[in-house]
Amino acid sequence: MWFNSRSWNRVTQDIPDGPIRRYVVDDKPEPATPLSVARLLAVDVETTGLDPKKDQILSIGFVPVNGTEIDLSGAGQVLVRAGVEVGESARIHGITDDALADALPPAAALDVIFAALHGRVMICHHAAIETGFIGNACNAVHGFRPRLSVVDTLALQFRLLSQGFDDEPPAGSLRLWTARSQFGLPRYAAHNALTDALACAELYLAQTAELQAASTKPLTLKSVLKY
Amino acid sequence: MDVELREIRDFLASHPPYSALPADELDELPARMHLRYFRRGTTIVELNKPNYSLFLLRSGAVDIYRDGRDLVERAEVGNTFGTSSVLSHMPSRYRIVAIEDSLVLVLPGEVFSQLVRAHAEFADYFNTGTSGVMKRAVAQLENDTSGRIILKTRVGDIVRREPITAPPTITIRQAARVMTEHRVSALLITEGDRSRGIVADRDLRSKVVAAEVSREQPITTIMTADPITIGSNALAVEAMLEMLSINIHHLPVVDDDKLLGLVSSGDLMRLETANPVFLVGDIAKQSSAEGLATVTARLPQLVAQLVEQDASAEEIHRLVTAVSDATTHRLLQLAEAELGAPPVAYEWLVLGSQGRYEHGLGSDQDHVLLLDDAASAEHDAYFADLAEYVTAGLETCGYPRCVGGVMAVNPRWRQTLKAWEADFHRWMLEPASEAVLHAQIFFDFRSVHGGSMRADQLRETVRTLAPKSPRFLGHLAAEAVERQPPIGFFRGFVVERGGGPQSGLDLKSSVHCIVEMVRVLALANGIPAVNTVERLHAVAASGAMSAETESAIMDAFELITYLRLRHQARLVAAGESPSNTVSPDDLSALEKKHLRDVFGIIRRAQQALAYRYQTHLMS
Repeated sequence: MWFNSRSWNRVTQDIPDGPIRRYVVDDKPEPATPLSVARLLAVDVETTGLDPKKDQILSIGFVPVNGTEIDLSGAGQVLVRAGVEVGESARIHGITDDALADALPPAAALDVIFAALHGRVMICHHAAIETGFIGNACNAVHGFRPRLSVVDTLALQFRLLSQGFDDEPPAGSLRLWTARSQFGLPRYAAHNALTDALACAELYLAQTAELQAASTKPLTLKSVLKY
Repeated sequence: MDVELREIRDFLASHPPYSALPADELDELPARMHLRYFRRGTTIVELNKPNYSLFLLRSGAVDIYRDGRDLVERAEVGNTFGTSSVLSHMPSRYRIVAIEDSLVLVLPGEVFSQLVRAHAEFADYFNTGTSGVMKRAVAQLENDTSGRIILKTRVGDIVRREPITAPPTITIRQAARVMTEHRVSALLITEGDRSRGIVADRDLRSKVVAAEVSREQPITTIMTADPITIGSNALAVEAMLEMLSINIHHLPVVDDDKLLGLVSSGDLMRLETANPVFLVGDIAKQSSAEGLATVTARLPQLVAQLVEQDASAEEIHRLVTAVSDATTHRLLQLAEAELGAPPVAYEWLVLGSQGRYEHGLGSDQDHVLLLDDAASAEHDAYFADLAEYVTAGLETCGYPRCVGGVMAVNPRWRQTLKAWEADFHRWMLEPASEAVLHAQIFFDFRSVHGGSMRADQLRETVRTLAPKSPRFLGHLAAEAVERQPPIGFFRGFVVERGGGPQSGLDLKSSVHCIVEMVRVLALANGIPAVNTVERLHAVAASGAMSAETESAIMDAFELITYLRLRHQARLVAAGESPSNTVSPDDLSALEKKHLRDVFGIIRRAQQALAYRYQTHLMS
């Protein structure tokens, strides 16, 4: 295992068998893995707000990326039973309290996500949100925060836009939908966790194609990993 | 768990052929696909490499090169490519390259195969190369509705019983008795299988009762001898037009000299009460060009109505031509009434699209005068006046003068049969490319007034001489393949071979690609027909063309001529004047796809023609 395992040995014993334990215990992709064969999972969470300490997850969408291909057959979305009224954020995400009545409890929802994440690196746009909320949810249910290996498309966009310039990229240029438009990627009408995860996966393919074109060597996971 | 990939499902649902899939299949399809991203300049499918997937362009743009060289298509968002290698299981004959950053939905070959097996309409989309697909395209455009029976029904279908006949020896009294007994309004006078004449109840009324002819006289004294007949394959609407233009109410139906029956105007009226052919009846009643113009002014509306009723392009063209013919015929009658009887016999020949029965809206005049060989210089003043009368009249009626001056008002095109024979000989035997180019429409001549004896003789000359004139045919072929169809459409533009993008598609040019090719083949094979579809049938029947090619070209011709008529009808409905240039935005995705197929059919036919006549050797 390539991450710092000292703390994990302590907690892994306590994790019940299931997708989270398997995610934590089993091998992760090596940083030296070429991007052309790397296995990743684009993830997006929709939440009641932006503060992982106060707000809660409403839904999680995910789409697998195998090398340079998005595997739509593995796409999925889970609604999470938040235990609070959805209120204002329903306007943004279109998720109503009624829809959430069919949602999974956080523990079951986390099992779905971690099963999909098994053996994969997570891709997110502005990863702090996803890692913060998923980590918090895990902590609330199981009493620990699994360390997530992540590629952040926002960070990749910053890198692409800053190349050769001293100035920082203009404000707003790093947003998901702005970043996508720079690659001519399609506009999506609806915004939900699955659509945004797909949007993020497409952006990742575009960004890594651009980075690869500027590089003489085949890129590896290490060159794009945030954590 | 909700795995609905709504955005992708909606994208599929709005692009053919996926749009033809049932809803439950559409729901499932996204999860069976992949997405790939191709940076600009990267190759999606390599030439001569196997390819196992279809690609649907999600964003960006893609160029498709045949044999890696010739650009055959520029795919835009919503287009599917990579089909041929998947269908043929052969290495790709195309190199497919992203020219912009492109996101592509990948449909695995095995999923594609399942869809093709399960959904006929989906499969049809990929059925290029076989004529069936164009047929279905046409059928989709002209989905059958009611209210067009007269345009569909053949005369043979109306004739239900053996005609009531009598020998020429009977008296008028006996004939009247036969007609009363059988309750018919007309009686055919026959000898053996041949019709000798026709007598209608109107004849009995006007000629016998009013003129007090003896009822004991033989019927031959009042019958109309050698009546105009019609073939059983003619459309009901053509029978009606024929009757209206010469003001009769009965037509014997005759195939190969064999009498099959009789159709009456009543039979035809019953087919359809509200039919558009009254226009022609009204034309026969007018006594001035201005009066005629009020009738022809209704023509655009009529065409719009026929398009609305989903009549086929061939039917509409024949109708528009019938109106043009009737207008010309009536103007000539009026001219003769004003100028006096012609000093020598003449025939009025129409050329080009009117000659071919393919007149559309906004078509200009093309006509010449064919004079009896007895005509001499002093007669020309009469025919100059006649030509000016008719040409000006046609202009009043909305037919613009021919910009090339191919009209009877031009003294060059007023001449005797002998002179015309000389011209045609020269065009065919001593062809210079420029002369042949200008002479092309002359080979589509047809007489609309004054009988057709001389025109028939001229046609016989062409029919026998043309097949023996390889240089002439070579020039025609070179001309026919020079006009190349576009490659396809890209983002609201037409992609032309070797040219910049065009904002409009010139439908007339595509129509002429086919007209010119078919004309060469017809002339080469000694076929007297002038109508493009009839020429095609005859060329195929002569063995000079495969039935499959015939069918493909015929359907391609129907599709573009139909789109042209529809475009013109829409312009007219919007209060604009008819044009031939349609904006790609006015075409549906499916129509564009079918047009791409049409361009392909034209290209293949042109290549075959170029090869046969070695047109690259023509100067």
